[in-house]
Amino acid sequence: MARKITFMQAINEAMAEEMRRDPSVFVFGEDVRVSAFGQTAGLVKEFGEERVVNTPIAENAITGAAIGAALNGMRPVLELMFCDFAMLAMDEICNHLGQWGYITGGQYRVPVTIRTAVGAGLRMAYGHSQSLESQLIQAPGLILVEPSTPYDAKGLLKSAIRSDDPVVVFEHKKLLFGGIDGEVPEEDYTVPFGEAAVRKKGKDATVVAFGFMVYEALNAAQELVKEGIDIEIIDPRTIVPLDKDTIFESVEKTGRLITVEEGRIRGGLGAEIAALACSEYFSFLKAPVQRVAAPMIPIPGSPVLEDLYLPNKDSIVRAVKRTL
Amino acid sequence: MPLAKDKLLELYRKMLLVRTMEETHGKLLKEGKLQLMGHFGTGQEAVSVGITGPLRQEDILFGTHRGVGEFIGKGMSPKDIWHEYLGKKTGLCKGKGTLHLADKKNNIPGLVSSLGADFSMAVGTALASKMRKTNQVTLYSVGEGTCNQADAHPSMCMAALWKLPVFFAVATNQFCELSYMCEHYPTQDVAPRAAGYGIPYEIVEGQDVEVVYEAAQKAIEHARSGKGPYLIEYKTFRMATHFTGDPGTYVNPKDLEEWAKKDPIDLCRKKLMDRGMMTAAEDQKLRGEVQAQVDGVILGALAAPDPTAQDLFEGLYSGKGVL
Repeated sequence: MARKITFMQAINEAMAEEMRRDPSVFVFGEDVRVSAFGQTAGLVKEFGEERVVNTPIAENAITGAAIGAALNGMRPVLELMFCDFAMLAMDEICNHLGQWGYITGGQYRVPVTIRTAVGAGLRMAYGHSQSLESQLIQAPGLILVEPSTPYDAKGLLKSAIRSDDPVVVFEHKKLLFGGIDGEVPEEDYTVPFGEAAVRKKGKDATVVAFGFMVYEALNAAQELVKEGIDIEIIDPRTIVPLDKDTIFESVEKTGRLITVEEGRIRGGLGAEIAALACSEYFSFLKAPVQRVAAPMIPIPGSPVLEDLYLPNKDSIVRAVKRTL
Repeated sequence: MPLAKDKLLELYRKMLLVRTMEETHGKLLKEGKLQLMGHFGTGQEAVSVGITGPLRQEDILFGTHRGVGEFIGKGMSPKDIWHEYLGKKTGLCKGKGTLHLADKKNNIPGLVSSLGADFSMAVGTALASKMRKTNQVTLYSVGEGTCNQADAHPSMCMAALWKLPVFFAVATNQFCELSYMCEHYPTQDVAPRAAGYGIPYEIVEGQDVEVVYEAAQKAIEHARSGKGPYLIEYKTFRMATHFTGDPGTYVNPKDLEEWAKKDPIDLCRKKLMDRGMMTAAEDQKLRGEVQAQVDGVILGALAAPDPTAQDLFEGLYSGKGVL
């Protein structure tokens, strides 16, 4: 039975259900008992302080501790409150977490799930607002997911917690706080890694949009349709592994590719997809690939400047038109 | 209380094995038979073998890059080490880790390269032991150089906060890579930092394996009994340079002379003989056996199969291939 719940509730339910299912799952992080944003709120009441563990403010060391716990039979769900703060744990995440399984010859697996918030819009400027997904795509051994709906948030987080591989889940603040709700079944389900969702069918251009940018793309589609332009919107849902098949089957049909991300443009997610398009699917393209992403500057806090900085419906509309 | 003959002889044999393995490593490098550089723990064998001596099989060890001491001490086999050091398919890590030795059957989860993250990993394995009620102790072996890393303080903080079964063993070998310790530290000792977190600590002389062992035994019992972490700083001296490519121009030869008189293997040999536990002839025989064991293991490892191109992409994820 499906009912409507919010993105925040979906994340909370995923953790609660997995903790009920598997005693080795525990929640770990700064303020997770009270929960600064609300994702882990109430878990301590059901599962107790032993399984909902507040940590000191030390992203590097709590990530290392999560790795250690996973090396000794536990399945930590670690919250790094902001992805900006996750940069303090880059050594643990990029040097160790993703690579440990390979470097130990498969003797050890490190089933850590890291949940971290991305996204601007709160006028909090540079260090609380970034979307740093692309910082992690260079690190081998990680799975990276970015849900845009409550259904995917719950299903992907459950897959993450059950995975024997380390997974980083990016949660956009506008989805957490915007009260976006959606249908989510009561029954247990998971969303597999590496399967994109087609959010809107279309024939003229393929827009690949990550996370919250799916909604900006949907808004752009409404504008474009007034001008007779019909875009297809693909939500990859997982950044690594990337569902190349779904993306490029669409590009084969439309001949046009636009990538949309909230993170910065240089070396971003769009850069990777554009490179794939050039090297593996060049013959599909009827126009140069367009990347919609943030500029290479810090995120300013002023509402006026932040809005100018962020990719949005209008920048997507302009990019689509450049391909036609 | 003096250690029983069997135990002291076992520690002596392990120290000899460690020294012989590292000396042979250096020789192979010079002969061009091996590409992997070494970071040897010459002179520190009493610490590495002594701290691991009281551990149980199920206990967890995070060792250091400084030689094979802790790994031999915990029960890793010379064969396993050499197959991995040579990057062979038959190695513990299938030739992918080389110096980053991991051995799940001996509860050795691995060795980081950017030192310090293992400080918090050790806290994590201890946290899991407590949560799973496994009665395991985690030994985190570390040098004073790494104690300045960012993970050190929050790791000690968490270990104390949650009363975790972890033994922090600091080998202060007077060098932090290519510098004397005094260039990195405003103090002579590292251990008093533990007091800031309410962690009991001791500073112990690190050349006498019996002393090292007894102090470690106390720390491990403390951790296992649920009283929380314990830290011991062992004072020792690195007779080797930081790594095999380091000529050690910064080392004062007088220090080497002074500490050579306190060689842990010589000290232990004298002790065994003074107590009538070993004769000179038995010692000679033992040394011969150890060298033969190491030579045999290396010959076997050199002949072992290398990994293949197919192995390159295996083992990154729990499933097949690269995502």
